This record gives sequence, structure tokens and C-alpha cells, in this order.
Amino acid sequence: MIEVQNLTKSFGDVNALDGLSFTAKDGEITGILGPNGAGKTTCLRTLYGLLKADAGKAIIDGVNVSDNPLKARSLLGIFPDKFGLYERLTAYEQIDYFASLHGLSGKEKKHAIEEIITDLDMEELAYRRTQGFSQGQRMKVTLAQALVHQPQNFVLDEPTRGLDVMSTRILRNHLNKFKAKGHCILFSSHVMQEVAALCDRVIIVANGKLAAQGTPQELCELAGEAQLEEAFVKIIGSDEGVAA
Amino acid sequence: MSQFKALLIKEYKEAFRDKRAIMVAMTMALLAPLMIFVLSKTMIREAVETPPIYIKFIGAEHAPKLIAHLKKDNILNFADVPEDDKRLWQERDVKITIPDDAQKMMQEGKPVNITLSADYSEKALNSPIRRIKNSVNQFSQTIGYKRILIRGIDVRLLQPIKLIEQDTALPSSNAMFISMMLGLYLLMAAFMSGLSVAIDSSAGERERNVLEILLCQPVSTLKIVLAKLCSASTISIIGVVLTLLLTSFSVQFVDLTKIGATFSLDAYSVAVILLLLIPISFFASALQLFVSFQAKSFKEAQSTVSMIIMLPTMIPVALMFIDDKPPFLDWLPISGQSLLMEDIFKGVPINWLEVFATSGVTIAITGALVMFLAQRLKSEKVVLALS
Repeated sequence: MIEVQNLTKSFGDVNALDGLSFTAKDGEITGILGPNGAGKTTCLRTLYGLLKADAGKAIIDGVNVSDNPLKARSLLGIFPDKFGLYERLTAYEQIDYFASLHGLSGKEKKHAIEEIITDLDMEELAYRRTQGFSQGQRMKVTLAQALVHQPQNFVLDEPTRGLDVMSTRILRNHLNKFKAKGHCILFSSHVMQEVAALCDRVIIVANGKLAAQGTPQELCELAGEAQLEEAFVKIIGSDEGVAA
Repeated sequence: MSQFKALLIKEYKEAFRDKRAIMVAMTMALLAPLMIFVLSKTMIREAVETPPIYIKFIGAEHAPKLIAHLKKDNILNFADVPEDDKRLWQERDVKITIPDDAQKMMQEGKPVNITLSADYSEKALNSPIRRIKNSVNQFSQTIGYKRILIRGIDVRLLQPIKLIEQDTALPSSNAMFISMMLGLYLLMAAFMSGLSVAIDSSAGERERNVLEILLCQPVSTLKIVLAKLCSASTISIIGVVLTLLLTSFSVQFVDLTKIGATFSLDAYSVAVILLLLIPISFFASALQLFVSFQAKSFKEAQSTVSMIIMLPTMIPVALMFIDDKPPFLDWLPISGQSLLMEDIFKGVPINWLEVFATSGVTIAITGALVMFLAQRLKSEKVVLALS
């Protein structure tokens, strides 16, 4: 479970986060929606412990990130917005590397790696160096490295950007499987259809604040629109905010 | 510990699979012995051989004995110059003018004014001019001694003081130019070999978007920095060891005894030199990582780090010009090692206190760089610069 309480962060004169609060529950896919510059990336980086909040706190499974960033990170699986690969390593070696960083070793590690490789149907890729991998193949490796240690919480930063239909479907299937096992999934995106199709709950962030939250259906009703996209525009467009 | 092992293994895999980086490290090691071999060969030839000198004589017929004497020293008449060298000696234009009254003056026992004219600022003429002067002086002295001897005077009266010179340089000190170059090359190998690995694993990873995800893992930045440092310095140490081994091997083929010098690196000296250079390898890699982690791009890192390479060449060269060396130079990084290596090459007994002092200071600075860098990687400034 990921809890964000009253998170505030400013860079100079810019208020990137202005008292943002939300909760992403276990067994649910929570989507963060927001226009560019709303503070999504800043919020996620605070969650990873890369940035320190000016006020408020982020709590992962009861661990306060700013108190114990290493412990908090070990409870997270992270799918970054720009996924780069170690191009001189094979896919297997890269997954192995991340498994070791999360403290897996020996048979347990081997088993975990093999499981995730089978899960993502990437046996053919496993022993090839990642140089020259297609976007979909890169996505699979990044997904595998984020999930190899079976984290309770999984954070994805705009994961479907640049992916084709097939890769998006693989990702979606995997997220649903993960959700069914009772994990907590936090998902930031721009793509409305993606969010509408996948997320149980949606958090709309604008100007570093929570603008609205609820199921996609609830948000549409709140804004009085049939489409999530229209609802989104209406919610972030209003000065007062429809609900907070 | 297993985390550090994983970090280290990954860094080694990436480094050793980077063919370009390995090539750079090994080129340095291969080129150095070759350069030293060729340069020493050339220098020995210049020092030992007396190639013919061709001068233009004016009035040669007035002093045939002098001409004959010069000929014995391989100083010949320009008229006899072979076609190949003609242009060269025409340009050098060394002239000896013998006056018309030379024979008459000689018979009367009066000084004969012989003029040697040449461009004294021309470096290539230094050795010929010295040889001509020596030869003429010798000829003149022989005649002078004979004149005095004939008059029944002991020639030794002309030498009230005889200066006896004792050269305290140890036999191997004469190989100074080799040791100078070797010392410089070894320091450069330490700085050059690990260079591309250091840049690639810092600025390169940032540019390939893998640094951010690494910083999001449950692993301390100190471990990350140490793993990268170990990997880059390993390559650097391999470069140093190869340079050292190949050079001591190739110097065996240069006959230094011709110039009365010996140069040998026994296993003990090699071991001490390695002991001196291993901290330098770590220091160099730490410095390179430090600079390239601050750089905004791979390119920027490359250009800034290439400035650092000037250090190992500039410091020893600057040391040559300082006659009264302040004592702190003995234990500063690079200068300390450079001075100690010079001693080892000269065969001077090793000052262990200085070895430990300079190594200690080098390691301390390296440690400080690592700690500072680990702290830097935690700072928001670095994180914000990631994208």
C-alpha cells in the first residue's frame, strides 16, 4: 500500500507539489492522471526517495520513505519513464543484476528469474545482449527487472509510451495478473483509454494538488460527462476544482 | 556484501565487453615500450657515433698538417662530400679560414688566427662544432708541447692544477632519459587506461537512462561509487602492469653499455613501482568518475576528463624545472610517486617513509573523493539533472 500525505515540494519559485494526498490500495490498480507539469514525476521521485519533500510524507507499507529510503525502495518495483538498458549485458544478466540488488541469491534468485522470464514469455530473448532490442522487447526486460523480486508495490511511470498494441496488451495482462495476486499498482499515464480500461481508481493531479479521485465511472458522473477524457479536461480546467 | 558483488560483477562485465575501452587501455601499454625503444636507440647513436663532418676550407693549402689531423677525426673537406649529403652541408655552411701567412707565422712561433664560422644557434651543429674545436685545440696543444719540450722545459709546468673529476652518479643514473620517459609513461598509463571505462560507467550510464533506475534501487550510493571505482581502476592497473612489463622487456634489446649506462628493472623494483602506482590508479579513476558524474553529457565528460590527463604529464615536467624542491612535493600524489620512481630508476635506496606518506595521502584524497561523490549522488541536484 502506498500512502502520500500532504506532500509539498517546491523548486525555487515553482510549487511542484502543493499538499498532494492520496492512497493506492493493495489489490487495486491506481492511475495518476494529470497534464504535463502537474507534478506526477516529482511525486513519484519523492516516492522513490530521490527527492525530499518540503512537507508531508510518503509511506510505503508502513515505511516512511524519507526515514528509511533503502527499506522503502526494497518494497517497490519501479518501471521508469525512460527505460534504458545495459546494452552490453544479456537480458538474463540484467534481470539477475536487479534481483541481486534486491538481495536475492542462490537458488531462490535463479528460480525467481526463471519464473519471471517464463511469465513474460521472453525465453528467446533471455540470452541475447539487449543492444538492438525493439521497444517491446525493451519493455519486457524493464518489466522483468522491476518485478523479479515480486515487490508488493509496483509503480509505473507512463509505461505505455512508445509501445505498440501487442506490447501494451502484454503489459496490461501482466498488471491484471499482478493485481489479482493482491499487489498494489500505481500507474501514471496520459492515455485516457488506457486508464479507463485498466484502473480501478483514478487520481487526477493538477498544479501539484489532488483535483479529484474515484473510479473512472465516478469521475465521469462527477463532471457530468460520458467520456473520461471530457471529464478530465473539465476537472483540471475548473479553477476551484470539482472536488478535493 | 552480495549487493556489492553484484554491482562489481556487472561493472566488470560491461567494462571488459567494451572493446573500445579495452583497446585504448592496451594501446597505451603497447606504444610506450615501442617509443622508449626507438628513442633510446636514436639517442645512443647520436651520443656514440662520430659521423663525418664536411667543412669548407679557405686556404687549406696553407696548413696541410692541420687538414690531415682533422681528417683523422672524421672532419673532412666539403669538396669530398657525397652527393646525398651535399645539400645538408651546403646549408649548414661551416667554414674554416686559414690565413695566407699561416706557414710563416707557424715557423716564427707566432699564433696563427684560424677562423671557424658557423651558425652556433643551430642545435644540429652543437656536436660538430664541439668536435672541430676539440680537434683543433688538440692539434695546437700538441705543437705547443713539442715546442716547450724542445726548449728543455717540463710540459707539466703548464698544468699547475689538475682537476680530478669524480662522478658520484651510480652507473645506472646515466639512463636518465629512459627513466624520465618510463616514469611519465607509467603515470600516463594509470590515467589513460581506465579513462573510457570511468566515463562510460558514469556519464555514459546517465545518458543511456540507466543511472536513475539504479539510484532507485535499495542500494547505497557508496557501494555504487565503489563498484565503479574498482572496475575503472582494475583496467587502469592492467594498463600499468602491461606497460611496465613490456618496457622492462624491450629495454633489454637496447645496448645501453655503449653510453656507459645500465638500466635494469629487477623484480623488486617492479614490485615497488607497482605498489606506488596502484594508489595512483585508484586516484586517477576516482578523479575521472568525480568529474564525469558532474558532467551533463558524455561529450562534456570526455572533454573535461581529457584535461585531467594533462596532470600526469605536466607535474613531472614541472618538477624538472624546480631545483630546490619543497619537501611537500615528496608526499603529494603524482609528484611524490614521480620523484620516488626516479630514485628507483637511479638505483637510490628506497625511502619507505616517503613511499607510505605519498601512498597514504593519495589514498586519503581518493577516499575523500569517493565519499563526496557518494553524497553527491544522493543530492537532488544530481537527480534533477537526470532528465
